[in-house]
Amino acid sequence: MKLTESKAEMRGKILSVSGDDHFMNRITSIGITEGTAFQTVRNDRRMPLLIYLRETLISLNRADAERIEVEAV
Amino acid sequence: MSTAIALLGQPNSGKSTIYNNLTGARQHVGNWAGKTVEKNEGSYTYGGKKFSVTDLPGSYGLSGNSDEEVITTDYIKSGKSELTVVLVDASQLERSMFMLAEFARLDKPAMLVLNMIDVAKGLGKEIDTEALEKKLGIPVLPFNATDTKDYDRLKKLIAEELKAPHKLKVPAPETKSDVKADSKAKFEWVRNIIEGVTKTKDTVYKMSKFDRLMTRPILGKVICIGVVLLAFLVAMIIMIPFMNIGKMIPGALHDPVDKLLTGWNVHPWIVSVFSTMLPNVLFFVISMASFVFGVNVVFGFLEETGFLARAAYQFDGLLSKLGLQGKAICPMLMGFGCTIGGACGTRVMDNWSQRMLAMSIVWAIPCASIWSIIPVVSGMFFSWWQTMLVCVGILLYVVITMIVVSKIFSKKLAPKETRSGMIMELPPYHKAHWKHIFKEAFFKAWDIFKRALGTVTLVSVIFYVLSFSSDGDVSHSLLYRVGTFIEPVTKFFGMGWQTFMAFFSGAFAKEAVLGTLNAVFMNGNSLMEATFYAKTAATDTALLGGAMTAAISPAEALAFMFATTFNIPCLMALSTTYKESHSLKWTVRVAVFYFCNAMVLSCIVYHIAELFM
Repeated sequence: MKLTESKAEMRGKILSVSGDDHFMNRITSIGITEGTAFQTVRNDRRMPLLIYLRETLISLNRADAERIEVEAV
Repeated sequence: MSTAIALLGQPNSGKSTIYNNLTGARQHVGNWAGKTVEKNEGSYTYGGKKFSVTDLPGSYGLSGNSDEEVITTDYIKSGKSELTVVLVDASQLERSMFMLAEFARLDKPAMLVLNMIDVAKGLGKEIDTEALEKKLGIPVLPFNATDTKDYDRLKKLIAEELKAPHKLKVPAPETKSDVKADSKAKFEWVRNIIEGVTKTKDTVYKMSKFDRLMTRPILGKVICIGVVLLAFLVAMIIMIPFMNIGKMIPGALHDPVDKLLTGWNVHPWIVSVFSTMLPNVLFFVISMASFVFGVNVVFGFLEETGFLARAAYQFDGLLSKLGLQGKAICPMLMGFGCTIGGACGTRVMDNWSQRMLAMSIVWAIPCASIWSIIPVVSGMFFSWWQTMLVCVGILLYVVITMIVVSKIFSKKLAPKETRSGMIMELPPYHKAHWKHIFKEAFFKAWDIFKRALGTVTLVSVIFYVLSFSSDGDVSHSLLYRVGTFIEPVTKFFGMGWQTFMAFFSGAFAKEAVLGTLNAVFMNGNSLMEATFYAKTAATDTALLGGAMTAAISPAEALAFMFATTFNIPCLMALSTTYKESHSLKWTVRVAVFYFCNAMVLSCIVYHIAELFM
């Protein structure tokens, strides 16, 4: 599923991230890489997503979160 | 001769705190050659030697092609600094070590600072510094950026290292052409390094109660607005004592200077330069500096505690429509109090382009002074409900101006292709360190004070010459001659020479508008005194109202109010924008835009209003 479809409190793993180099650089340098375990903290309509990953609370906007595929574990 | 070192670290790694504490007041802000990225250089002495410190512009990595990343990479590669101090957040070791993985490829001398070691300890994380040192081959220093003793250890280590600098002995992560694979290689590198050095527990994240409120879609926004408004009040309270001291200067200096110089038979024109203008310049600049001080104290607090990141999260969606980051909400709300405060509040923005765009949008927000003028002038011509309508109209036009400004300036400042959605961390809440906040705010204020003195004096002299009349009669001033000469033109834009003059003085100081109206309509005080608001208290609004309604039409009054509201906010806002942006070109661009916008608006309002009134 897409990250935007994950429910709050869900724990999962990043499956894939796709986008141009600019986007990939930004998203991976903050720690969002394939195979990383994460937890969805908040996912409210029309608000950026909040996820917890690599000991960090990260907020990312919905358009970018659309490009991230995840699975629940 | 000084030895050069550089600081490298991700956002929220505590880099600026360390930079400020190392260098104190010996800082210089400029631009990187040919770039609009701010360059921060400072220095300190230790053991009789001078060390110059470059604060490298930060991002989360070095591989992207943003100006900041290119500048940082090139600077490290150039070898201009003999040692790079790499900062990582010990409480988020794995993620923040990414920067060291990036740095490893540059193969330059370095040392590693594990900042926020206290936070890491508090979370139960143990880091074996010695093992890490052995693996990396460079010195590793556990550090608490707010503990003054740690700075001595840092300075000592830097001095020792410079005698025989170390390079990383672990091979750099393999370079892959694909960004995805490349990042993966870097994180694997990090994982290999920290394996056996630290243990990370796999924990479920629990949001704090406060954060659960702060991140709620509506309630969170309400809290943010409330906190920023409160912060503005606090900033005002902090600045008031300084303001009051500044305010006393013109009154206290006027008579003695006047007497002294007149006694020396100095020409009265020159006497008034020294007795009226210069003391007021001093007052202006002190006000400016105290604003900068107050705003920096409260924003320093909000930033250090981690509140700003929450505000950015809340308002990112809305502000991204203007090409701005969510953080811009803070300076924008400040703008309702004072444009100077808003302009220096844009320091929270991540890069120069965002800062410049935010400043140009903050200019559109009517400050408290405008809200004290508009109801007065409107009340002379219109009934209370019409005055309400005027205010609503102004607010509507604020939104329109913001959109237009964003449309025009974001082409250069935030081009669509570089616009990126928010990807940022929400740092855990930290305790604020007041001493550090006050110190930093003081340096910033002092810096503005020194640098603004010249600009404000220059513009004041120009205005002084324009508004000067030997006998205090308005019609003997240059401004009057120019104003009446171009009246046919300004009339088309909706303003006669009197209102145009008041509009013009509004670009100098909004507080001067009522005084100028008084001067031009009633010849009550001299234009010069009005603009330097030496005698504004003498304005009798009832009498002025009578004189104004007799002299000009309601349509002209309406045009004037709109023009004044959206004019260049004031000399101090202009000067602050210039000092904060370091760009004369952009400051002039924004100023020209606002002047033209105000004139066109005035023209439209006047001609439409004439149809109905």
